[in-house]
Amino acid sequence: MRDWQQYVREHLGSSGLGRAEDEDIAGELAGHLEECYESFQVQGLTEDEAFLRTCEQTGNWKELRREVILARQEGMMADRVKQLWIPSLLSLLISWTMLALILWVGIRPLIWHEGPPWSVIVYVPWLMFLPFVGAAGAYLSRRAQWTGWRPYVAGAFPALAMGCVVLMILPFSFIVDPQIVPGLRFASVAAAAVSWVVLPGIALCIGVAFQGMAQKTSR
Amino acid sequence: MIRTEFKRGTAELAVLSVLEEGPLHGYEIGRRIEEQSGGKLRYTLAALYPLLYRMEKRGWLRGDWETGETGKRRRCYRLLAQGRKVLTPMRAEWADLFRAMRRVGKVSHA
Repeated sequence: MRDWQQYVREHLGSSGLGRAEDEDIAGELAGHLEECYESFQVQGLTEDEAFLRTCEQTGNWKELRREVILARQEGMMADRVKQLWIPSLLSLLISWTMLALILWVGIRPLIWHEGPPWSVIVYVPWLMFLPFVGAAGAYLSRRAQWTGWRPYVAGAFPALAMGCVVLMILPFSFIVDPQIVPGLRFASVAAAAVSWVVLPGIALCIGVAFQGMAQKTSR
Repeated sequence: MIRTEFKRGTAELAVLSVLEEGPLHGYEIGRRIEEQSGGKLRYTLAALYPLLYRMEKRGWLRGDWETGETGKRRRCYRLLAQGRKVLTPMRAEWADLFRAMRRVGKVSHA
């Protein structure tokens, strides 16, 4: 009895797509070769002849490996776009459009510890709207079969993007104005992080969590 | 035997056509194509499986692991609605190509 799974694994090697993918591919190709081998034996070929004829069916192993990886990766990239990038960019666009609308209308923010450099600014209507944005991002991500913690990335993407901006401000501020006392500099960055990353992040994650619970209940 | 370059273009239509008759696993797909083409179209694993994976990603087919009567696990492919949808214009395109080649290349049978 030949171990075709082992034979395929030896020739194909690791695809670099992960263990589960490798097992899936090897299992399918091994099944094909096994059927081939058995049919040659039914036709009256000896074990060795059947083995040689079966091996001819594979074609070039290098080409097979390359083509399989390309085909699987092509799908993975398309999946990532549907699962991550579209929901993330959509939630970012909606949340920033909403914020721009609030600023345009002229709604005043709640300001905690008024006076620069470290005021925490909260646009309450915007924060109240953000759970819906998080839920929409998570819904799109889960609809594209993304599970676990990943819909949180898509739903909370506006806060993550703002986090990156805030992190970039800190070193930039050293260049622009080196005179500022370090304590004040860090305090202002921390206040910005609370205003634009932590509070919006919490609001977005609440939406993601509720959407997940609603989806589970509806099943 | 038909040359590899020619066969490559025919594979999508051949796979979709045999799956139109019902779900099949990879080996059966290859065998049916070979049988129905009178042995003229024979695909290696390197040609068949990457194509199946691509068609699956496009939403034309779906592959599911199933355990057969012999107890062996095989990945069985089914034609999806999207695959059926592309099959008709694909056939029309091939018919156009054959007609054109009959005129230009003096091919007697298509």
